[in-house]
Amino acid sequence: MSKAHDDNMSGSSNHASGSSPQLGDTLRWAFELDTSPALAGATWLTREIVPDARDPFEAIVAATTTVEALEQLKSAYKMLRTTGATAAERSLAARLYAATIAAALVRHGQLITSQRGEALARAFSELEADTTMTDAIRAIAAQALTAARRA
Amino acid sequence: MGPRANPSLTQTNWDLIRDAASDSASSKASLDAITRRSWPAIYAFIRASGRSHEEATDLTQGFLCDVFLSRNLLEKANAERGRFRTLLLGAVRNYLADMHRRKTAGTRMPKGGIAAIDAMSEHGLEPSEHGAHSPERAFNARFVATLIRAAAERLQRDLLAAGDEASWEIFRLRVLQAATEGVAVGYDEIAPRFGLEKGTCAARLLVAKRRFATILMDELRATVDDPNDVAEEVHELLALLGERRSVNR
Repeated sequence: MSKAHDDNMSGSSNHASGSSPQLGDTLRWAFELDTSPALAGATWLTREIVPDARDPFEAIVAATTTVEALEQLKSAYKMLRTTGATAAERSLAARLYAATIAAALVRHGQLITSQRGEALARAFSELEADTTMTDAIRAIAAQALTAARRA
Repeated sequence: MGPRANPSLTQTNWDLIRDAASDSASSKASLDAITRRSWPAIYAFIRASGRSHEEATDLTQGFLCDVFLSRNLLEKANAERGRFRTLLLGAVRNYLADMHRRKTAGTRMPKGGIAAIDAMSEHGLEPSEHGAHSPERAFNARFVATLIRAAAERLQRDLLAAGDEASWEIFRLRVLQAATEGVAVGYDEIAPRFGLEKGTCAARLLVAKRRFATILMDELRATVDDPNDVAEEVHELLALLGERRSVNR
């Protein structure tokens, strides 16, 4: 169906008239997203910003992730903290949010949050203690905690 | 779910067919609703089977009049149930093998016509439908496209009603445009348009995509007799469409 025809049909915007593989893609991700666990949402979100990342943890700790990308990830996870589909997803987003701040501090020496002092130290400390996080994330949190206390 | 004067979006295709073939007060509205959901795939099949645009249009209208207005499809639906797509595909295939019905289509048109058929004529049909795919593949592609369009329209209504035009636009530019034109607009272009950070745009898109996914699965659920068959139907459609591995989300 041509765009012009589709516009006629919808009365407004260009809705879904692509090739079979593109339609299949849309159908597949819709099915997966409708049934996916918490990590799938965060992973999808991460790849929107760091396309080659395997998962959020890898994107955050990678030395190649720029401070600008970390700031984008931070704002994405910040929103996911409140809009996540489940409590597990919102909780994960909160941890990832803190992790982006820790990574920016450790990898780039920049503080990308207005939080300071005890609140920041507590966030890093909780991140370091969270055994559901990867070892690399927890190590970054530990280093960030040291840096935050020194500052 | 019983028939209603105004068929709802969640009413299944089976409910609509049953009601359309009845003498109820809502039968015309149900017929129009099921016709609207079905004709693009029917036309795609007929067009891809080698008919000209004009022939395919006539045959589609004839099919809708003969098969949807007669109790033929209803009887089959009651006997076989299962998936609406499979039933419809079998019916249109048989119809093409029985070409003489085309001549009687005009005489079977009900008084006042069928709104969805009138709309089809007004909007015109895409002449380039022919040639790219087998009739079955064209049918399935258009069947999925119709579901996706219906879901997108519902998402648009929901988001605009909630005053969230930004999320709708982000979804349209990042997802629908990718599905229809193969190119998604980048966040560098989208974010400034709405005064949002790129990460926030992505998070809004995730929320919109989730909502869209739920609506799309609802639409698909309406086409199967047993809601538990949705996963199987998705996998079969993916196989029929020739799933592409590199996902453009």
